Amino acid sequence: MIKQNHGIPYHAVVAAVVLTISVALLAAGCGGAPQNAEFRPIDPDNAVFWDRQTTESAALLQQLAGEFNKNRAGLPIKVERSGGYAEIFRKVSASIRARTLPAMAVSYESMTAEYIPTGAVAPLDPFIHDPEIGLIREDLEDFFPVALETNTFSEFGGKMYSFPFAKSVLMLYFNRRVLEAAGITAPPQTWDEFLEQCRRIKAKTGKHAYAVNVDCSTFNAMIFSLGGEVLRGRETLYDSPASIRVFELLETLAKEDLAYQITPGSYDDEVALINDLVAFTLRSSSSRANLALMMNDPARWGLTRIPQGDPSRPVTVLYGPNVVIFNTTPEHQRTAWEFIRFFTSTEISVRWALGTGYMPVRKSALNHPEMQQFWSEWEYNRAAYDCLHFARPEPNIAGWQQVRDLVAQAETEVLARIKPGRQAALDLKRAADAVLARN
Amino acid sequence: MLGLIADAVDGVLAHLDNGLDRLRRRGRGDAPTAALLLFPALTILVVFGMAPLVVSAYMSLYGGKHGMGPFVGLANYVEALQSPVFRRSFLVTVYYAVGTVPTTLLLSFLIAYGLHRIVRGRGLLRTLYFLPYVTSAVAAAMVWRALFNPQTGIVNVLFVRIGLPAQQWLLEPRGVLHLITGGWVPPELGPSLALCCIILFDIWHGSGFMVVVFLAGLAAIPRELEEAARMDGAGGLRIVRHVVIPLLSPTIFFLGVVGAVRAFQAFNSFYALTQGGRTLGTTENLVLHIYSNFYEYGYWGYGAAVAVLLSSAIIALTVIQWRIIGRRVHYS
Repeated sequence: MIKQNHGIPYHAVVAAVVLTISVALLAAGCGGAPQNAEFRPIDPDNAVFWDRQTTESAALLQQLAGEFNKNRAGLPIKVERSGGYAEIFRKVSASIRARTLPAMAVSYESMTAEYIPTGAVAPLDPFIHDPEIGLIREDLEDFFPVALETNTFSEFGGKMYSFPFAKSVLMLYFNRRVLEAAGITAPPQTWDEFLEQCRRIKAKTGKHAYAVNVDCSTFNAMIFSLGGEVLRGRETLYDSPASIRVFELLETLAKEDLAYQITPGSYDDEVALINDLVAFTLRSSSSRANLALMMNDPARWGLTRIPQGDPSRPVTVLYGPNVVIFNTTPEHQRTAWEFIRFFTSTEISVRWALGTGYMPVRKSALNHPEMQQFWSEWEYNRAAYDCLHFARPEPNIAGWQQVRDLVAQAETEVLARIKPGRQAALDLKRAADAVLARN
Repeated sequence: MLGLIADAVDGVLAHLDNGLDRLRRRGRGDAPTAALLLFPALTILVVFGMAPLVVSAYMSLYGGKHGMGPFVGLANYVEALQSPVFRRSFLVTVYYAVGTVPTTLLLSFLIAYGLHRIVRGRGLLRTLYFLPYVTSAVAAAMVWRALFNPQTGIVNVLFVRIGLPAQQWLLEPRGVLHLITGGWVPPELGPSLALCCIILFDIWHGSGFMVVVFLAGLAAIPRELEEAARMDGAGGLRIVRHVVIPLLSPTIFFLGVVGAVRAFQAFNSFYALTQGGRTLGTTENLVLHIYSNFYEYGYWGYGAAVAVLLSSAIIALTVIQWRIIGRRVHYS
C-alpha cells in the first residue's frame, strides 16, 4: 500500500479516476440521441445549404440565394461552402451520427444512396406533388427525363430522394494546334480513330496525345459509348467486352507512351491542354467556362462529344451533383424545397448555366433567347447541349461510392502497367461485386 | 470590479481549504485534495484519450453502416484480419515506420552533432533545420507534389538532365525494388516508389524536431567526460560511440518511441501527397484505411475495429521497445 506521506494516496487516485470516468461517460452519453429521434437543424434560424461551388459559381449561387430570400417571408436560405464533394459526404455522414443536419446539401447519387438508409433524407415526392408548392405536370415534363431519372432510387421504393442541381456531361476537349501539327483536321469520332490520332500525334510531334484524369465516371462513359453497361441488378459488368476494351485501350495508350496519368484531384490535364502539351482530355462540360478563360483564343481549341463505338448511336455520361433535403423541421424542409423550385425555374436555370458552364435541367431553357445568343457566339458552345438527349446517368445504389474508388485503382494499375487490361477488368469485377454484396 | 472577483475567488478557495482541512481532521488524509488536483488532468485524459478508445471498442462490435447495424461481436475484427486490403495497409504502415524512424533518427543525430560541434552560425542553422517541422505538412506537401510532378516537376527535369529515366514518383504504384532491378523483382514486393516519396518527405519534415531534442540532449553531456576520453587517447568516433551515444540513450529512446508511435499514426503526409491514397493502394496506410472505411464508405464498425487493432499494435510496439531497448538506456 502506498503511504500517504510519500506520494498520492491510492484511494485518492481511484476516486479521481471513477469520478472522471463518470463525467466522461455522461458527456459521451449526451453526444448521441436515440436512433429514432428527429434530426435537429444545425441552424434553427436559417435553412443552411452545404455546397461546394467556388469563385464565380459560388458568388452567383450566393446572389441567387439573396434574391430568393428577398422575395419571401420565412426562413432564409444560407449557402455555406463546405469543401469538395468528398468533404461534404464526410461532414454529412458525421452529422447524421450527431443527428444534427443542414436543411439541404449537394449530393451525388452514390452519396444519396448512402444517406437514405439512415432516414436522414426526405423523399421529395410529397413536395413535388404538393398542390400549393409542388410542380405542375407541364413543369415536370419540362425537365430532361434523364435528370429526373437519375434522382429516382429504384432500390428505395422508386422514390425521388434528390433533385437535379448542377448537371454536366462528359466531353472530349481538344487542342487544335497540336492536332494541326500532326496533320489532323477534325477530332475523332470513334475510339479506333482516337487511338489512331494519338499515334499520329506522338509520331509527328513527340508529345503525349492524352492526359488521363483517372475517374470512374469517365471510365463508365467510355463503356457506355462502346455499347456496354456497368451494372445489372447488384452485379457489376466490368468483365464485359466493352469494359475489357476500355481497359485494353488504356493499356495500349500506356504501353505506347501515348498518354499519361495526371495527379489525382488536380487539373494538370487542363493545364497541359492550355500549354499545347497534349491534344486531348476528357472532362465534364462544366470545365468549358474555365478553359475558355485560360485559352484566350477560341481558334486554339474545341470540345465535342466523346468518341464512340458506333457514332450513329452516341452515348455519354450525365453527371454533376444533385441536391438532397434532410429530415429536419417541416419549416426547414419547406424552405429548402422552395429554393430548389426557384433555382430550377427556367429563368434561373439559364442564368446558372451561362454563369457556370453547368447544363440547364429544363428543356425550355434551351429556347431561351440568352441561351440562343450564347450558342451563336462560338461554334462549340452548343456541343455539350447536343449531348443532353443521349446522356445517361450512372448507378445510384448503395456501395457505389466504394466501387468508384476500385475503378480508379484498376485504371491506375493498367496505366502503370502493373496489370494487363483484361486481368484488371476481371479483378475489378470480382472486387466490385464483393463490395456490393457487403452492402 | 477586479477586486470583487478576487475577493470572491479568495472566499471560494478559503471555503475549499476549510472543507479539505475538515476532511483531513476526520482521518481522510490527503485523498480529497489529491482527487481534486488530479481531476482536471484526468478529465482531459479520460474524455479525449480513454473515452474515444472505449467508444471505438464498443462501436467495433456493431455491423452495418453509419453505426446502425446489429451487434456482430468480433466479426469486424475477423473481417479485418482476413482482408487483403487490411494486410496491405498494415504492410504499408510497417514499411513507412521502418523507412522513416531509423533514418530520421540517424540523420537528425548527425546534424545535431555537427551543430553541437560548431560555434559560429549554430543558431541560424538550428532555425533552418527546424523550419520544415513548423511548416504546415499540407502546405509543404503541395510543394513536394509540384516537385515530384512527373510531367512538370523539377525532380524529373534533373533526372533527365543527368541521363536517368523520368519517373512517375507519387503516381508510381510499382515497388521500388522492381524499378531498381529492371523488373526482376515482382512489382508488388517491397514499398512502392510513391511510398518512398512519402517517406522522404516525412524524413525531411520530421527531422527538425529530432535535431532540436538531440541538441538539448547533447548540451546536457558534461564536457569533462569527453575531455577525459580524449586524454585517454580516444578519437572522435570512439568518443561518439562510447561516451556520447550511451549518455544520449534516454533521448534516443524517447525519440524512437515517439517516432514509432507517430509513424503508425501518420496521416497528413499520406493524405496530402496522394489525395487519400485511393488511386494507389500501395500508399494507403492503416490510418487512411480507417479513414476511408469510416468516413467515405460508412463502415463505422469495421473502421472502429481497425482503429482498435492499430491502437493495440502501437501499445504492443511500445511495450516491446520498453522491454528490449529500454534496458540498454543509461539514465545516469
